[in-house]
Amino acid sequence: MASSSSTASTEEASTSQPEKKEETKQKKEDDGEESDKESDEKMFECNICLDTAKDAVVSYCGHLFCWPCLYQWLETRPNRQSCPVCKAAISRDKCIPLYGRGGSGKDPRSKIPPRPPPTRTEQTDNGRFSWGSNEGNGGFHMSFGIGAFPFGFFASAFNFGAPGTAPAGANFMTPQQIEEQEFLSKVFIWVALIFIVWLMLA
Amino acid sequence: MANIATQRIKREFKEVVKSEEVARCAIRIDLVNDSWSELRGEIAGPPDTPYEGGVFALEILVPETYPFNPPKVRFLTKIWHPNISSVTGAICLDILKDQWAAAMTLRTVLLSLQALLAAAEPDDPQDAVVARQYKEYHNIFKTTAQHWTAIYAGGPNRIGEYETRVTRLVDMGVDELTARAVLSANNWDLERATETIFS
Repeated sequence: MASSSSTASTEEASTSQPEKKEETKQKKEDDGEESDKESDEKMFECNICLDTAKDAVVSYCGHLFCWPCLYQWLETRPNRQSCPVCKAAISRDKCIPLYGRGGSGKDPRSKIPPRPPPTRTEQTDNGRFSWGSNEGNGGFHMSFGIGAFPFGFFASAFNFGAPGTAPAGANFMTPQQIEEQEFLSKVFIWVALIFIVWLMLA
Repeated sequence: MANIATQRIKREFKEVVKSEEVARCAIRIDLVNDSWSELRGEIAGPPDTPYEGGVFALEILVPETYPFNPPKVRFLTKIWHPNISSVTGAICLDILKDQWAAAMTLRTVLLSLQALLAAAEPDDPQDAVVARQYKEYHNIFKTTAQHWTAIYAGGPNRIGEYETRVTRLVDMGVDELTARAVLSANNWDLERATETIFS
């Protein structure tokens, strides 16, 4: 430090130093607050996208995810569904939606999140439709970008076109949905058969 | 690349850069291009292992479906380890295959690889020759791994005797890398190595 008998310029320097110190102190406090905020926000980061969780759900094992992220994870490994953090058993029914103040209050799990568009091209006679009764609000859910599908489905069912083949895009369906679809297509075929037999007999 | 993958890699990149392991020079990560789909990793050989003192470079390819599928990782630096191919650098590690979980990050992958160097799994080998040496001639395995670390990864324990044998083979017109690999695979037995090469 400069002594009291120093020249004006060094005095100036010595007086400006404490100010600087205060400034840096202030800055440090700000940083402290910011890092607190940061760690608070990190508490609520989705474990998959590392962003603040949207449509948040928490697993029974206590791990937080965005529902769209968790949904995609479960779809990636339909046969071996495990928590991405601790590998505990996990499924759609083994997680709890979180409702903060100001949220819509809707169950995030009731909507199938937007998925990346398929890159494959559709076959014209390979119909597809999504039966949404287990999605919580009845009615039909049309899967992503496949508008005319129910009709395609009926057409293929009555054409007896390959009833046993796995439907295209099945990787976007839950196992229950696939089962339901297969069951339905069998029912339609039997109804059609019975109708034809009845026509022939009558 | 899909948006979620790029977003996440950017975040993870920051996480690695800030991590305390980087401060200790234990792991490092660099960008190769602007697309964030290819990265270069670096891990230090863990202490008290034959790999101590070496620095190993890794190629990290991030798939479009990251983080739902694991990154593709392979060693660029040659290494003598039962679970890593001494030829291609391919890695046999469950978390890079079926045990991958979406919450794992580049940092945890690099740390897992470091842990793999410290604890080999010779019963689930990638390189069968190395694994057999690990089980049957463990001391030779250790010195060979040390020697490879010194030659390829900048480690301190170069073994002069081994290098003399490599030079002998090189004098016979054998490529240096081949000579070292064949000698290593034959437990540094010069006669058997010569037989293997010239038969």
